[in-house]
Amino acid sequence: MTAKDVWPILLFGAVAALLPVFVTAGTLMNFAIFTLILCLAAQGWNILGGFGGQYSFGHAAFFGTGAYVTAVLQVRYGVNPYVTFLAGIALAALVGWLIGFLSFRSGLRGSYFALVTLAFAEVFRVLSNAVEFTGGAAGLLIPLDQRAANFQFESRGWFYLVVLALVVLALLMTRALERSRLGAQLVAVRENEEAARAVGVDALRVKLSAITLSAAMTGAAGGLYAQYFLYLDSTIAYGAWISVEALLAPIIGGAGTVFGPVIGAVILHTLAEATRMMVGRIPGIDLVIYGILLILVVRFPPRHFASFLWRQFRSYDPDLQIVFILRIRRRRSAQRERR
Amino acid sequence: MPNAFQPSRRAVLLGAAGALAAPAMLRAQPAAIKLGILQPVTGALAQDGEYGRLGAELATAEINATGGIKALGGAQIQMVFGDARSSPEGGTAEVERMQAEGVVAVVGGFASPICLASSQAASRYDLPYVADVGVSDAIVTRGLKNTFRFSPGFGSITAAALDNLAKLNDAAGKPAKTVVVVHEDGLFGSGMARLMGTELPKRGFEVLETISHPTPARDMSNIALRIRSLNPDLIIPSSYYAEFVLLSRTLQQRRIRPKGIYCVLNGAASNYRFVREFPDAANLVMDVNHWADPRKPKTAELRRTVEAQNRFWLYNTPMNYSAVMLVADALERAGAADRAKVIDALAATDGKFDRHIMPYGPTRFVNGQNQAGQAVNTQIQGNDIKVIFPTDFADAQPVFPWPA
Repeated sequence: MTAKDVWPILLFGAVAALLPVFVTAGTLMNFAIFTLILCLAAQGWNILGGFGGQYSFGHAAFFGTGAYVTAVLQVRYGVNPYVTFLAGIALAALVGWLIGFLSFRSGLRGSYFALVTLAFAEVFRVLSNAVEFTGGAAGLLIPLDQRAANFQFESRGWFYLVVLALVVLALLMTRALERSRLGAQLVAVRENEEAARAVGVDALRVKLSAITLSAAMTGAAGGLYAQYFLYLDSTIAYGAWISVEALLAPIIGGAGTVFGPVIGAVILHTLAEATRMMVGRIPGIDLVIYGILLILVVRFPPRHFASFLWRQFRSYDPDLQIVFILRIRRRRSAQRERR
Repeated sequence: MPNAFQPSRRAVLLGAAGALAAPAMLRAQPAAIKLGILQPVTGALAQDGEYGRLGAELATAEINATGGIKALGGAQIQMVFGDARSSPEGGTAEVERMQAEGVVAVVGGFASPICLASSQAASRYDLPYVADVGVSDAIVTRGLKNTFRFSPGFGSITAAALDNLAKLNDAAGKPAKTVVVVHEDGLFGSGMARLMGTELPKRGFEVLETISHPTPARDMSNIALRIRSLNPDLIIPSSYYAEFVLLSRTLQQRRIRPKGIYCVLNGAASNYRFVREFPDAANLVMDVNHWADPRKPKTAELRRTVEAQNRFWLYNTPMNYSAVMLVADALERAGAADRAKVIDALAATDGKFDRHIMPYGPTRFVNGQNQAGQAVNTQIQGNDIKVIFPTDFADAQPVFPWPA
């Protein structure tokens, strides 16, 4: 990893960290915190799905595990929330490894892998609804005690900065992964698993590393959710909503890119908020408009926003501009030939 | 030619008239008071949310039509509506927006998870929060100063349900001795079943069997057959709407008639949809649930208004109507649209508050919970839902045991 790899991430972090200075409105802080938590979950999905090409429909299994461990340990056993948060990440990683071990070893790929992850998340949801220590259907409430030592901050600004720091850390880790040998092997497995194996890549080990890291990140998002909203039940923790959120953001923003999940999550939620604010009293009409916008965004992507923005940004360099024009021309002629 | 320094006579007269009229206009139109109404009107709980909103709208319209908040010079109440989207974070986001819009209090939430998360978000700003329906006891036991609940919680509802069952049975000459409990296998149903299993024997009932079923369940034939072979005097179901409807229809089809069906917090037995769609299966089913006071003339008036809009009469509407009236009453006594004063006024609410239409005794808040809040026993009788217990509020006699 070089300085060139790192500075855009640090720049993003620095600019985003200024938000609490200018914004004190609770609505916007709340929106920003929730979006950042989803960024983290989406970045987790991106490592496995974007870089590794293993599409999971059940990242709720990791989100929920992170959330429940964070909550259960402090509510039932009085453990410090920072410790339970880390324990949540660790256990989510373990669950990720286990699901990966069971499914990758059996050679499940593509839609089969997706269905298995979906099934795991559903099993967790049903179980957490039935057993007692999660609070079952009545849910689990983390007592309100706003002290920094308790991982609950009196001011939202502090919580925002903590979440932002974790998002920046996740971005840095993703960048490091991208530049590492493991990252290259992961991309190789995504592109052609047989070919990767043929050149000596241990595909199982690579995929297991990816799902473990992925689960840890999404688990961290779950833990943050629990600490922020202080209430969990089975449909929040293991519900399909978070699996969808986690995969939609990277796919829209650009799967397999470092900034894709962040851009995707910000676009998704800004669209959702904007439609909600603009449309008046008819309930649900904003969701209809949101749905239409989403279809349009997915149908006509300017080749994913992340790479699109990056191209715009880079095209100020005249040399690179030529390179890009050439590349685009080449791509167009290739497309023509294919037709 | 008039200019800015030498205004025309007409302009001076107009200005003078305006200056004279201005204080009068100010007196007539004090600033409106913003009141946050939080309901889930999209998602899984949309139906309940819509009926809750209706109740709040009717109360607001009535307050404004009868002179607004008199202690504040007849200030009108302006409703700031928020859709909680059937999720806790949806509720939290709306509370933040309401805070930004400067509401004086928030009413609603409907489901316990939404009430829990939203009241917590409101507590950051010392914003008074009145929960409408949510029964979780945690809502008022967390020590949040801003949170109030006018309606009863789970503990008091189940206690009343057991006591009233014993009274009902005693009054009828103890026809019921044996019970079968049918419950959904989630925490709500299982918890209720466990409670019944330990508490019913203390009150002289024998629990023959406890039968569980999943949600959703598509078939109740086996459960019905099991009930037939056990032949209990009483069936106590704790299931959600669809499963209970299915069970009661299966029992009806198989001509299984116990001496009574007694529900606790059942989604169907206090719902006019069930009564309208399956009148035979619904007839004489009893429930312990929230319900409006049938003896108050205001209840009948409100019900006529709701039914004139082609809507059902559900408990959400009177509960939200009453909760908004509670806030209006607190505003009258606080004498200012000030949050701290409204919280104090809410906590000090007493028996003089009579604009609500719930079957509760004199209001008294302890730690945010109205001690007088209580669930009532209802029974479906001849296509209508009647209150049969407690006798102070009843508008019908219980039909128990069921005629053979």
